[in-house]
Amino acid sequence: MTEPKPDSGFEEVVKAYAGDLYRYAFWLARDRQLAEDVIQEALLRGWRGFAGLRDRAAAKGWLFSIVRNEFRRVIAKNAPYADAIDVAEVEVADEHGALLGLEMRDALRALPAPYADPLALQVLGGFSCAEIAAMLETSEGAVMTRLTRARQSLKRLIAPGAASERRGGRS
Amino acid sequence: MNCLDYRRALLTGEGETEAMHAHRLQCAVCGALLSEHGTFEDELRRALEVPVPGGLEDRLLGPILARHRAGPARRPGRRRFVAAAAAAAVVAAGAGLYAWIGRNDPVAMASIEFVMKEEAKSIMMGTIPRAEAARALADSLPIERMELIGEIRHVRPCPFNGGTAYHVVLTAPQDKITLLVMPDAHLAARGRAVHEGLYADVIPLRKGSVGIVGTSPAVVESVAGALRS
Repeated sequence: MTEPKPDSGFEEVVKAYAGDLYRYAFWLARDRQLAEDVIQEALLRGWRGFAGLRDRAAAKGWLFSIVRNEFRRVIAKNAPYADAIDVAEVEVADEHGALLGLEMRDALRALPAPYADPLALQVLGGFSCAEIAAMLETSEGAVMTRLTRARQSLKRLIAPGAASERRGGRS
Repeated sequence: MNCLDYRRALLTGEGETEAMHAHRLQCAVCGALLSEHGTFEDELRRALEVPVPGGLEDRLLGPILARHRAGPARRPGRRRFVAAAAAAAVVAAGAGLYAWIGRNDPVAMASIEFVMKEEAKSIMMGTIPRAEAARALADSLPIERMELIGEIRHVRPCPFNGGTAYHVVLTAPQDKITLLVMPDAHLAARGRAVHEGLYADVIPLRKGSVGIVGTSPAVVESVAGALRS
């Protein structure tokens, strides 16, 4: 495979999307170190294939797909990796409360991967349902259902009282 | 378009279409809903935008540029990844993590699946009173023993692995831990699984067994040790 030259634009593409690629990898892996390892390997693969990418405007979606595939490959290897840095904490309104006031980030951690994946692609990547469907190799309708359920679950998981408290207490 | 269609469309996050816009102009309730939904979306974006580690771009591009400078025969980026994996393996070996590698135990795997797919639902249904939980778990895993590990945040009986398990969420100092106490499931041996960044250990109890799930193998192992002792 022909490797690209340094002025091929790959560096600019990486600089433009590194943050969002990292965040996407984090929400797949839910582990900072693994997220960085996944991106590192994904970008090496991306760099090797960049010369063959005909439509440079599609580079963003292409890189997100590589990150997703790389994460699945790493998980499939069942390799050990460092402990998660972030600790999920469940906040309880009261001992017998019917609803728990989860922080949005904790609620996202509680979201099953099939819902969190398209949600991260939509919000972080800015991809449409049709684009996400192509990336996940499923139908647009299935993506819309997952996105709807993801938002419904998150809304249920964050109690309104806790949400207003957070807005007042955090900058 | 009616209000239900509008709400459904809003939850997909695809943005307002012309039809939605036309409906909202005629419906004050959906207008208010859009404003509320905007606040939710802002909060969602902020939560998803986790901080990016400093120097990330340099660390990502460094091996690629070095590789280009070195020519196709050298693969520093690959070596860095392999070196990092090797270093992680050394750390893992030191922490006894190799015990986690291998065939995933089905009950341990089911415990991880429960955390991924059912935990939020159980939490949303609410915790049972402490006295009720204490009675139900007295013979298998007394609540007082769990409280030595961390603060109990949630207890609820749930269908699990063809029987019933008590789903317990504990906040330990190092991590959030999920326990699935199965009073009627007797295990001959310990089982482990690793999946999607979660680690599970299933151990036999005096009566029944318990699945322990967390994001850190060291914490899961330490909780297993504490519950066995």
